[in-house]
Amino acid sequence: MSWRIGVDIGGTFTDLVFLADDGTAETAKVLSTPDDYSRGIVEGIAQVLKPRGVDPATVREVLHGTTVATNAILEHKGAKVGLITTEGFRDTLEIRRLRMPQLYDLNYVKPLTLVPRRWRTEVVERILHTGEVLVPLDEAGARTAIDMLIAAGVDAIAVCLINAYVDGRHERRIRELVRLRDQHLPVCLSSEILPEIKEYERTSTTVVNAYIVPVVENYLRRLTQALKELGIASPLMVMQSNGGAMGVQAASERPIHIIESGPAAGVVGGAEVARKLGLDNVLTFDMGGTTAKASMVEKGRYDRLGEMDVGAGINLAGRLLKGGGYHVRVPAIDIAEVGAGGGSIVRIDAGGALKVGPDSAGAMPGPVCYDQGGQDPTVTDCNVILGFLSPDYLVGGGLKLARGKAVDAMQSRIAGPLGMSLEAAAWGVHVVANASMARALRAVSSERGRDPRDYALLAFGGNGPVHAVTLAQSMNMRRVLVPPVSGVFSALGLLFPETEHHYVRTFKRRLEAADPAEMTAAFEQMRAEGRQALAVEGYGEADSRFEMQADLRYLKENSELTVAIDGIGDFPAKARARFDQAHEQAYGYSSADEQAEVVNLRLIARGISKVSRVPAALTVHAGGQAKGPSARHRRAYFGAEHGWHNTPVLRRAEVPRSGQAGPLIVEEYDSTTVVPPGCRVALGDWQALTIDIGR
Amino acid sequence: MAQSLVLETASGPHAATDPITMEVIQNALVALADEMAFTVARTARSFVLKEALDYSTALFDAGGALVAQGTCLPLHLGAMPVAVEAVMREFGNDVHPGDIFATNDPYDGSTHLPDVVLVKPVFLGERLIGWSTVLAHQTDIGGRVAGGNASDSTELYQEGLRIPPTRLYDRGEASHTLFRIIERNVRVPSLVLGDIRSQVAACSIGERGLIELAKRYGIERFEAYCQALMDYAERFARAEIGKLAKGVYHFTDYLDGDGIVPGKITLQVAVEVLADRIRVDFAGTSPQVKGAINSVYAFTRSATLASVRSILPLDLPNNAGYFRAVEVTVPEGTILNPRSPAPVAARGLTGFRIADTVMGALAQIRPDLVPACGSNSPDAGVSIGGYHKDGTPFVYLEFLLASWGGGPNRDGADALTGMIINYSNTPAELLETEQPLVVERYAFVPDSGGAGRWRGGLAMDRHLRFTADEAIFQVRSDRRDIPPYGLAGGAPGASSDVTIRRADGTEERHPAKFLTSVRKGDRLRIRLAGGGGYGKVAEREPARVLEDVLDGKVSLAAADRDYGVIIRGTPPTVDAAATAARRARTAQG
Repeated sequence: MSWRIGVDIGGTFTDLVFLADDGTAETAKVLSTPDDYSRGIVEGIAQVLKPRGVDPATVREVLHGTTVATNAILEHKGAKVGLITTEGFRDTLEIRRLRMPQLYDLNYVKPLTLVPRRWRTEVVERILHTGEVLVPLDEAGARTAIDMLIAAGVDAIAVCLINAYVDGRHERRIRELVRLRDQHLPVCLSSEILPEIKEYERTSTTVVNAYIVPVVENYLRRLTQALKELGIASPLMVMQSNGGAMGVQAASERPIHIIESGPAAGVVGGAEVARKLGLDNVLTFDMGGTTAKASMVEKGRYDRLGEMDVGAGINLAGRLLKGGGYHVRVPAIDIAEVGAGGGSIVRIDAGGALKVGPDSAGAMPGPVCYDQGGQDPTVTDCNVILGFLSPDYLVGGGLKLARGKAVDAMQSRIAGPLGMSLEAAAWGVHVVANASMARALRAVSSERGRDPRDYALLAFGGNGPVHAVTLAQSMNMRRVLVPPVSGVFSALGLLFPETEHHYVRTFKRRLEAADPAEMTAAFEQMRAEGRQALAVEGYGEADSRFEMQADLRYLKENSELTVAIDGIGDFPAKARARFDQAHEQAYGYSSADEQAEVVNLRLIARGISKVSRVPAALTVHAGGQAKGPSARHRRAYFGAEHGWHNTPVLRRAEVPRSGQAGPLIVEEYDSTTVVPPGCRVALGDWQALTIDIGR
Repeated sequence: MAQSLVLETASGPHAATDPITMEVIQNALVALADEMAFTVARTARSFVLKEALDYSTALFDAGGALVAQGTCLPLHLGAMPVAVEAVMREFGNDVHPGDIFATNDPYDGSTHLPDVVLVKPVFLGERLIGWSTVLAHQTDIGGRVAGGNASDSTELYQEGLRIPPTRLYDRGEASHTLFRIIERNVRVPSLVLGDIRSQVAACSIGERGLIELAKRYGIERFEAYCQALMDYAERFARAEIGKLAKGVYHFTDYLDGDGIVPGKITLQVAVEVLADRIRVDFAGTSPQVKGAINSVYAFTRSATLASVRSILPLDLPNNAGYFRAVEVTVPEGTILNPRSPAPVAARGLTGFRIADTVMGALAQIRPDLVPACGSNSPDAGVSIGGYHKDGTPFVYLEFLLASWGGGPNRDGADALTGMIINYSNTPAELLETEQPLVVERYAFVPDSGGAGRWRGGLAMDRHLRFTADEAIFQVRSDRRDIPPYGLAGGAPGASSDVTIRRADGTEERHPAKFLTSVRKGDRLRIRLAGGGGYGKVAEREPARVLEDVLDGKVSLAAADRDYGVIIRGTPPTVDAAATAARRARTAQG
């Protein structure tokens, strides 16, 4: 029997899921080792394999979701990058698009520019948008620029020239000139990283890539080595923000694709579970310690956005007001995020209103009940007070909670000043946190023209199943699903995706004037790149699939929609029909009398595994699953209407397939599902819990 | 439905409201106003709505008080209530389910003709429970100049179609007449009617959401919470104002001119901080002007409310409760409260200057927070219009802005939109594919930030080479004669400038507002102003000057001349002794 391992790194814990060919799954949760994450990973793997006598050689694949790239950007610990631009455009990177992500904020601070002006240098050259070379590259000037950057000691060079999306010849020549001086210095060309129109977006994307290349390359090399020493020589694959996986070499060259790898894995997992359970409409809901994330899955498919702002902070208005963080134009699963999690701090503001988050107690000191010195009550403290979380059974009993301290903090800081009973105040916090998280769910549903009541809520993450049912009730949703291993679900999701590489080329033409020969040539070029990348990862022509897409818009519109292309021959007519339909769905109208234009061509190169990546059935042996919960009943409070109930506490396996009425609590190694009175829970296929909401 | 979430406070069933339900309803109202905003973003047709976000959404209670505003344009804070007031005044009880009212009259519910406001009454059964409203800047509204933003009209009648508060939908039935009138009066009817339809869609989203809330909580209870939310914002705002130092704070700033009659225009303000409210009085401001930069009272008040809002905590809800704590007085017949039919189309420029003026006074109240004046509002508006060889027209229109002024504890951000308006720029590469232009330069101007302990943000250059045969080039710029002010001893930022370098090499300078024709190969060089400096220049740490010199934002010569910092050698370092001596000499005068 062979195994595949999913490893998801978070700020506090590293989650691991081991999946055998027969659908047997083991899980583990170990402390992360931020000084060198690979150490924690290898220890976690050894901890599961050794006692079971599993030969590391039987590990077929390791799939990884990592925050290494994101952290390097957020903590400004990336490489020292030099940037070469066209004369007149030295400041493009710093000027950005001018916009602010926050209204009325006089204290707003622009993100630090990743390349300071002194290492941004210009060369004389100019290519027009038609591809015509107006001014040839001044090679002597380029040499001087390169010498200056090398003398300054840069770790990597990014090159972004105006209109290089049309023709990268000057950028390539600059790389040759760098090579004459230094054989190994990483050089990122905008015409290769993102041959797409708009100079700021292309420059920023190229610079971010150069900024994290050395960090990610180094990390993946260390991890590969550490796995080898453990006896695992099978390929290491890294999750991408777009929902596909990629090999170590590709991830080291284009690390901008792995920035949001953890959250993407959760959505991919959610999509597969929805498919297995035959559900067409699902909203995924992932609630952790500091944030809650939501995404929409329809017929097993999720939406992707073409860009992200790394480190823009959690700001729902950010979906309207762009401008924060570091702009990266790569496809990423559309995930909305709000600052509400178990660690979110509860306070009363100057006007006397009860506020929850977005400040978080984090991992240190954490909630008051963790007894690590935290003073501010949090959402988790309230969930303990309400009896939803067991003081004795978090992480399978690995973490004991000080309920008394949570009670004192809530009583003195919140309930007392508000003149409320302890349980009413704690329930209020639970409800206010739900109100905030409802905004994330709306952002991916009603703001996209979908009615959330037509969707089931698929909840995971350490705190997702604690809040899912009350949250769904507040939005009049009718069904909640809690998948197996819900507390480490993203690590399971890592095991599902196929290998993918995404490519884009700007191809600005009127739709009806798109020349088939030119299009074929553009796709062939991307296909060649994809074929090469897949070959490195061991996929032959027979195991490779290529998906063609085009970004279209009505003339003068400022945003595009991506449509699939089956063939070049009948492209304009078919693409037009699909585009009109997509426009109708996204924006509520289409206009037959308007001209459409192509902006970009896209290609997804996909390596297909020989065996299915999603098991037909799943048998979970989670770390503490075998041990029973600490008590079989517990008092829990469900709001003024229902009051306190002596509530049964079950293991997942004990939940009848025929269903059982709430109130009840399903307690597991890595998460807790709360089922209030009036709702009914049943164990279904794939060990998923289905909760039907009463009334 | 979902009764399990209904909450009671410990203080018993007699308490009308509890803080938890209040927070949940506040969240729901803001989310609803934002959902309306997303609906506009999704369904609107025009660039001005989709990209410049020049629209706002708002929800009102039955009495016409603002209960929530969408996250849109700060300059519109306070521009929405006048529309609802105008409709209530005009139609009284003659409003019905399915009605939608429209107005764009700057003197009766709007603030200039391109801003069309739709107002939809919301009913639960027979009972009026609130109003759902959407303001949107239309791409064109007829009149003598396309776009409806021209600064050189001299009476309102030149500026386009004027719609007083009117019934656009009667019990769900669209007014064929009004739609036809609009269609026949604007240059781009498909865009304008498309955008109005998107406003209608957003009003309906707001209506549906308000009804759901009223059903869930019950009308009486819901209304009680709306009042409680406004009372809460009022209490919050008054408590924060109470913490400010009482007194009257004066400030004066200027516009270079109206482009018709020479001479600067004075904006004068007195901001009085009382125990629990703020009074803003614009007495002493110049009379209304010939050119179309007059700002009607509603717009002046709106710009003032947005400015004052920025010195209060970010989590203060934007509702009528906050408005109750701020009173705005403007003498009639001034540029900030003109009489009809004074032209108002380009009042945006004056709005930016109102904010600069009010912020100058607020800086005395919150010296720990308010920065020196920036060049971060679109003071320069540039348009180029003409025809290609094949007879097809082209129109290029761009509003340009640069940087922030230095703040009390940091340098002014180089290249960032101001907080009064949230504008973006146009990528050079996009511009080149769509217009007969080549962008030759878009970059910082060294030594242009006002010197001070905290440097003002840098000015920016935008150089365009014109590549078609011939066109008309129009500029509406400002901050040429009166640059952005410094504070606490900081120097003003550099002035703006516009020059044309003709294809034959001759250089032309023009006034801040002008119109001329351009030919192939002519280069248009627009220089924006720089931000003002903050604090005494002698207090600037020499190490910061060195950093700016290394980054080429300040030249070696300016380090010496403007900052008294002597930098020498390779790599460059601060000569501490020479700097101390130089600064001592300056201090002795």
